[in-house]
Amino acid sequence: MKKKSLLALLLTVAMVSGLFTGCGNGGKTETTAAATEAAKETAGETEAATAADDATTAAAETSAAETEGQAAAGSVNTVILKEADDKMINTYTVIAVDPEAPFTDENGNAVSDVAVNTAGADALIQFLLSEEGKTAAAEFGQEEFGDSLFYLLEDAPAYEGEIAEATEETKTIRLSTTTSVNDSGLLGELLPIFEEKYGYTVEVQSAGTGKAIAAAQYGNADLILVHAKSSEEEFVEAGFARTLEGFDSERLSFMYNYFVLCGPTEDPAGVKDAESVLDAFKSIADGKYPFISRGDGSGTHTKELSLWPEDLGITKEADSFVDYTDWYTSANAGMGACLVMAEETQAYILTDKATFLTFVANGGVME
Amino acid sequence: MPGRVRRCADVEGNKNMQTAIQKAIALILSGDRELCNILLVTAKMSLSSSFIALCIGVPIGIWLGSGRFPGRGILVVLNRTLMGMPPVVCGLLFYMLFSGVGPFRKLRLLFTVKIMILAQVCLITPLVVGNMETYVSGIAGSVRETAKGLGLGAAKTFLLLANESLYEIFSVYLLAFARAIAEVGAVSMVGGAIAWKTNVMTTAIMQYTNRGNFSLGIALGIILMTVSLMVNVVITLLQRRFR
Repeated sequence: MKKKSLLALLLTVAMVSGLFTGCGNGGKTETTAAATEAAKETAGETEAATAADDATTAAAETSAAETEGQAAAGSVNTVILKEADDKMINTYTVIAVDPEAPFTDENGNAVSDVAVNTAGADALIQFLLSEEGKTAAAEFGQEEFGDSLFYLLEDAPAYEGEIAEATEETKTIRLSTTTSVNDSGLLGELLPIFEEKYGYTVEVQSAGTGKAIAAAQYGNADLILVHAKSSEEEFVEAGFARTLEGFDSERLSFMYNYFVLCGPTEDPAGVKDAESVLDAFKSIADGKYPFISRGDGSGTHTKELSLWPEDLGITKEADSFVDYTDWYTSANAGMGACLVMAEETQAYILTDKATFLTFVANGGVME
Repeated sequence: MPGRVRRCADVEGNKNMQTAIQKAIALILSGDRELCNILLVTAKMSLSSSFIALCIGVPIGIWLGSGRFPGRGILVVLNRTLMGMPPVVCGLLFYMLFSGVGPFRKLRLLFTVKIMILAQVCLITPLVVGNMETYVSGIAGSVRETAKGLGLGAAKTFLLLANESLYEIFSVYLLAFARAIAEVGAVSMVGGAIAWKTNVMTTAIMQYTNRGNFSLGIALGIILMTVSLMVNVVITLLQRRFR
């Protein structure tokens, strides 16, 4: 009885609020508020109230504009302004973790008996590099977006041999990966094929590339799938990577897509007509147009840092951009949250194409 | 509902709440398998961790509250300090201990529900102890006198104290449960928020927020609050019997 009446109460509340909100078209005040709050927090962290004020005003303007009813529900004002520049290639690499790697605990003492499921990692990598895995990756997104979200590298390593089936010991594979592969839905497409056919269970932890690699260094992953060349090379040089039998490199790069520079349709910085992406970033910095940075050590963040004019001196360190907080927002959030923030504050943003297309297809939210 | 003027200013906020509630109801009705799994893991984690914390914390709390021994004050202060331990610190500690390179790596517990429960117990037990201690120290004097009059031994006095604080124990359990189900910092760190395995309501909300899907996050939040409401109703009804 109690439960029933509770449910009835809930339903009534839902219906009443439904009745009273008949007018006005769907907007994103809630997202605005959240974005504003997030922006405020970030700005607070970087000791500048100005950025927050700017963000708040911009956000308020956006929502005001929307309340007036010009924007149709779900339309996204952020568009791709610069893409397919050689500097913007985003290569995804899979690396197996070496159980013999020089693992150390937090005190720097060597740890020798770290459990790493090498057989499972081998199987998953072999699957990703097999004809079947590659085709599935290359075809991903064509149905939904009419365009592939990931492309295969022409010189990608290939695997044609047998893939071992799971045994009791090798069943669970720990994959540490970046948010872009997971949030775009690629893994949701690939892994079930692999799991069903060979009997493995893949446990996916997704975080920015920096965190994903750190997890492997703490012995908490069997393989990593990431996209930041410099961090990968550090990982290999530190001796954490393992070369699979039949391959000649630890870093197995097999697919890519493009980072894209996005911003408001109006493009106040004139990014669209910039000669190169470097010029585009320069004009954003020169004009102090709002820019949202991931700020979380992810592959996207690493790429963005390499595109700013060098004399600005923007790095991962918080004090390197303390003078730019009036236009440069270091969000320290996932790609989706940053895109929402950029949309609401009319800011420029660097994103991987896959996540952006998913963002647009869902009308400004990520499913 | 406010009048017409107010309505237009609030309209967007309402709309979003409305879609969130609609989404929440649609989600429940659809019987989404992943949602069911998340609910199951959440229930398993929060119910068992709060129950274990209760089993450990209540005896200690009664002992601390009724005992008279040197060092009692220090223990109470220490416990109160532990009550304020930030969940992320607790999570980080367990992550380090059970990590692939940590001292307890042989147990292979990282990214399992078990370690989430363990971390939660570590967080919640001080709360149980602290609350029991406060309550019991209030009633200990008179209970001890009664026990003395009846000629009861130490063990029986302890049971009498426990019996006298039954009502409080239910309240403390609700507090422990509330803390367990609402926790996000520690469980996301040691659990890893792995789909189908260690993803609970709070970590799922975090995930959706990071992806920019705020309304689905709110929808999950509404479901979480509803579950919490149901547990509270059941426990409160049980509690009434011991008034």
